[in-house]
Amino acid sequence: MNYVETRLAKLARTGDRRAFAELVDLYKDKMYHLAYRMLGQSHEAEDIVQETFLRVYTNLDRYDVNQKFSTWIYRIATNLCIDRLRKRKPNYSLDAEMPEGEGADWYSLLASDQPSPESEVMLSETQEHIRRAIDSLPDKYKSVVILRYLQDLSLQEIGDVLDMPVTTVKTRVHRGREFLRKKLESEYGGKVFETK
Amino acid sequence: MDCKQAVREMHEFLDGTLTGPKAAALKEHMLSCPDCRLVFQQLETTDALVKSMPRPSAPDDLTDRIMGALPQSRKKASWLQWVKRHPAISVASVFLLVMVSSFLSLWNEDTQMTVKGANLDQLVIKGDTVYLPAGHKVNGDLMVKRGKIQVDGELNGNLIVIDGTYALASTAKISGETRVIDQALQWLWFEMNEMVGGLAK
Ligand SMILES: [Zn+2]
Repeated sequence: MNYVETRLAKLARTGDRRAFAELVDLYKDKMYHLAYRMLGQSHEAEDIVQETFLRVYTNLDRYDVNQKFSTWIYRIATNLCIDRLRKRKPNYSLDAEMPEGEGADWYSLLASDQPSPESEVMLSETQEHIRRAIDSLPDKYKSVVILRYLQDLSLQEIGDVLDMPVTTVKTRVHRGREFLRKKLESEYGGKVFETK
Repeated sequence: MDCKQAVREMHEFLDGTLTGPKAAALKEHMLSCPDCRLVFQQLETTDALVKSMPRPSAPDDLTDRIMGALPQSRKKASWLQWVKRHPAISVASVFLLVMVSSFLSLWNEDTQMTVKGANLDQLVIKGDTVYLPAGHKVNGDLMVKRGKIQVDGELNGNLIVIDGTYALASTAKISGETRVIDQALQWLWFEMNEMVGGLAK
């Protein structure tokens, strides 16, 4: 294997900061996009990208040069995103009433607290529907769907990144796709599908 | 084919892994089943729509921010800082330094020839010269220290000559590499690598 990235990683390992900066330039957009779709938020996405590269840098000695660099960095970034999503989940029931009462529950709190994450990028109405559908995907389908469709990774690569058999990846792609279809059909009355 | 199986195959089709006859069977089913046709059309559109989502790029200054947040340097930390941070290892290095000096004096005193290898019976030793005659074969590494080695036969490994000389006849065959170590420090490195290598096993 003689990827440019592997060479850069080896150089960076010896303390070459310019080589590392090149790696950052090669991967920052991909990592940003991955984190942005996973978390639906530009600020958190930036955090994840920074943390990802910091971990890459401090663990360069542990990078196995026989492995594709992309697999390694995707694994680090995906795990950070999954951790972040997990922490975000409140561990109390969403249906529980707020302590103050007045009928407000966690749902309404979350709804009012929701920033408009896509403010930087104008989305068409259809794309806004898709964005919400992706956001609503259960985590285990979300990472697979994003890696497959938005990062163009092969099923095998996704298996390597998420450390799971290809058959599992495949099943999750199918379920994720089915989930999105049903979501779009039920919530928007199939209107989304008429655009094509 | 029933509808349930058809849906499974649709996913395979969209993955790009449905081959000839199976693809044809799916098509045939869909021609006669409007429900499946609709599902397929929706799945296909879902795929296309998800793939067409805009791909925002990272803010322009992110590279600078990332580089700025990295620890000062990976390798360039000055000796002194390093010693301060690793007092225990520093003590060990002083110890190592003492070892090295005693080793160096040993190096200068030790003048005897040493031969190391797996099949020493294949060798002929005369005075300060070791012969590997033609037709003889040594399997594994051969090391000669403070002596001469003449290889006419076959060596199935590395030849390591320490503080000595070697000569290869045209009939000589060496499968590994030949290394000549003629300085005390190089020799020390060699020994340490052997030691560390041995420990790692
Ligand atoms: Zn059917």
